[in-house]
Amino acid sequence: MKSRKLVPWIALVIVVVVGIVVLVVRSRPDNSPASRAHRLEQQLACPVCEGQSIADSNSPQSRAIRDDIPRRIAAGQSDAAIRAFYVSKYTERILETPSNSGLGIVAWGLPALAVILGSASIVVAVRKWSRTPRLTATDEDEDIVRRAREEGE
Amino acid sequence: MQFPIRWIALAVALVLVVFGVVLAVQTRSEPSVPRLVLEHGPVPSFSMKSLEGKPITSAGLKNKTLVVNFFNSWCIPCQQEAPALKAFYAEHKAEADFAMIGIIIDDDASTMRGYVKDQAITWPVAVDPNGSASLDFGTTGQPETYVFSPDGVAVCGRLGASSQSLLDTWLQGARNGQECT
Repeated sequence: MKSRKLVPWIALVIVVVVGIVVLVVRSRPDNSPASRAHRLEQQLACPVCEGQSIADSNSPQSRAIRDDIPRRIAAGQSDAAIRAFYVSKYTERILETPSNSGLGIVAWGLPALAVILGSASIVVAVRKWSRTPRLTATDEDEDIVRRAREEGE
Repeated sequence: MQFPIRWIALAVALVLVVFGVVLAVQTRSEPSVPRLVLEHGPVPSFSMKSLEGKPITSAGLKNKTLVVNFFNSWCIPCQQEAPALKAFYAEHKAEADFAMIGIIIDDDASTMRGYVKDQAITWPVAVDPNGSASLDFGTTGQPETYVFSPDGVAVCGRLGASSQSLLDTWLQGARNGQECT
């Protein structure tokens, strides 16, 4: 009887473990040259147009970068080194994601700050509400309720 | 207990306002002066072939006051700029320290041969088949012109069509070790 009660829990543990394993395996990046090139094309912004990645843009510079990335990968350069090369030529505005310095800190930090401040607000509000004394019904209140019930009947 | 909530709300609002102001002043502007020139970078190393198949290398142009013009046949400002470049080249081509090359950006060699012939362009024109030179210079469009001093430093240049008088000024500045920016 005791082991029967454990079955749902064991099933739940199995489902969670399998889910985690699948997530971990699927989130592992594919490091084939083609995948790396595609990933870099999406991480880099077209240097001469607005709102387009290298992967999406058809400008001469974007096409040149698309041709250049596989050559750099074949030459053994890391993704970071390839990104650094383009930053050296076109500044950090070529990066689709903000950097970890300068204005980039604001972009990364603002959501975290919002979460912290939001959580603090909730904590303060809950504490405030929990300290508010519960109102107790007076005799007069109970009379009103009783009369209302009697009228209802 | 209303006091802390008000302060938190005020802080959030303040952060949002500051962020909005920062974003507003960070408007993207396209500089007409290439980054290589702004930073006075060295001549990027290149090794290309001319339309006639002759080698054009950065090493072969060392110690020259070098003018590099990125262009192609389909860009209208390039076509508008061609007479000024021709006049400028005719004026200086005999000077011993002077060198000028064109580098094709985003165009094919056969089309460019016809364009160079039609425009009577006589300075060496290099083919950059995979855009490597364009990337190494950090070009942001065409036409884009760079002037390097004899010691190989980018001193003048711009994105967009250049006039003959501007090119003359840049050349003199490069020879005298002056910066244009």
